[in-house]
Amino acid sequence: MRVLSLYVENDTFIHKLEPIAKLLYALISIVITFLFPSITVGAVFVAFSLLLAISAKVFKRMLLLLNVVLIVLLSMVIIQGLFYRQNVTPAFKLWGLTFYKEGLLYSLLLIVRVVNMIISFGVLILTTRPSDLVDNLVQKGLSPRFGYVLASVLQIIPQMLSTTSTITDAQRSRGLETEGNLFQRFSAFFALLGPLVLNSLVEARERAMAIEIRGFGVEGKRTFVRQILETKTDRWIKISLYVAFIVAVVWRIILWAM
Amino acid sequence: MGNVSTKVSIEHLTYKYPFAENVSLEDITLSIDAGQSIGIIGRNGAGKSTLCYVLSGLIPRFFHGKITGKVTIDGEDVPTMPIERLIRKVGLVLQNPFSQISGAKMTVYEEVAFGLENLGIEKDEMHERIDTVLRQFDLYKKKDENPFELSGGQLQRLAIASVLVLKPEILILDEPTSQLDPRGTTEVFETISQLKTLGITILIVEHKFEKLVEYVDKIALLHEGKLLGYDTAEHIFSTSEIETYGVGQPIYTALCKRMGLKKANGYYPVSFGETAALMNGLKESGMDRRTYDG
Repeated sequence: MRVLSLYVENDTFIHKLEPIAKLLYALISIVITFLFPSITVGAVFVAFSLLLAISAKVFKRMLLLLNVVLIVLLSMVIIQGLFYRQNVTPAFKLWGLTFYKEGLLYSLLLIVRVVNMIISFGVLILTTRPSDLVDNLVQKGLSPRFGYVLASVLQIIPQMLSTTSTITDAQRSRGLETEGNLFQRFSAFFALLGPLVLNSLVEARERAMAIEIRGFGVEGKRTFVRQILETKTDRWIKISLYVAFIVAVVWRIILWAM
Repeated sequence: MGNVSTKVSIEHLTYKYPFAENVSLEDITLSIDAGQSIGIIGRNGAGKSTLCYVLSGLIPRFFHGKITGKVTIDGEDVPTMPIERLIRKVGLVLQNPFSQISGAKMTVYEEVAFGLENLGIEKDEMHERIDTVLRQFDLYKKKDENPFELSGGQLQRLAIASVLVLKPEILILDEPTSQLDPRGTTEVFETISQLKTLGITILIVEHKFEKLVEYVDKIALLHEGKLLGYDTAEHIFSTSEIETYGVGQPIYTALCKRMGLKKANGYYPVSFGETAALMNGLKESGMDRRTYDG
């Protein structure tokens, strides 16, 4: 049974950081790149996030993540380069189409923002065990029920996929066409929905019973077998991030007022 | 007030699920002594699982509906007992090993810790308890593996370990081997055998009678929500009506009934050991199988 997780096991400084510190970096770096319409600011964060990825030894995986959005990024260049509202200055011509400087610069701004979003969240996802992140959030006050939903989704979705495959095999063995033209595939999909949904509901009910009998609904103080501790480094990182965030917001307000 | 050693007492228990036309349990009365192992048998819809849910407190906390009668554990009323106390008294293991894994934990070790975390058990005690149960159920080597990577038998053992780590005095197993292969089934029954030696009161719903009779002191026979019999296995399976309830019987009992072979006490054998001993006795006394042909 596979688990829906991209976590890469390694023993690096970044891996050892508190998950919330990494989450905070991802969120604040994204907010700052969106607060400032500046390619330079975005590029600084991209470079820093890449540095984190390299020091966490997850650079190759990061490239795979970026590869997924490559087409989206290219389409941004084409669409903005051709159709951005403020396009005035032609930059170059390609197959008879004129690309404009303003649109290309705007697409570059969008790209650094998206790339930073992917890399900063990538650092978090690739270097943090999902259950550690959830435990850390619950330890800091997130509702255990919400935490459970976040953590269980990662394992239960692959389990549902496995059930889907079993149901499809069973239906195929009884003569249902699950492959072929679009119509056949569509009918097979509808035939799959009923048993899959019913099966999932039954399993969800059983799981709810099983966790209830193991005290999930008990009110009161919880303990954690893996206590995620906040080190001095984590604390300083978080303080620095908060400071950077406040400075960025104030700076933005000043820029806006001017 | 029952006997001092009475662990579980059920008096005139009747229960009806919400929106159901008929009652699922009707006027059930029985008592279970501390340390006893009880098998619960009956055909589908007999009320076996419902009885488990009542005893584990899922009825009326999880399933609503109308419940009458009295269910007590150590003299305390089960439906009104605070859930945190009830969890420490009763553990429930369900039939599907996959769906009773919390799904929120990445390793076997953390999965076992789930219930302890919910109850706020201190970290040191938590580690001690987890290590003990993992060793007890031969899962220690698997402690860093993902629960969903275990085999069916290992997963069911993990489910039992995850419940037993809470140190319940009563363990209820609702068809724990129904989805397991013979090896997994043997693993689970070996586990039950271990638990008996620890003095835990066990209730087990099971259709694999040949295995069941080897581990239980008494059997409760349910049919359409009613308790039709509550006695030793040989007594329950020796009645002539047992076949009319559609529950089946151990293959050895069926064989001996067919051959008209009874033990000295007048009951039919229920286990392989009893049947083999009876047949060896016959062989030694000069009767062979041909005596029963035709």
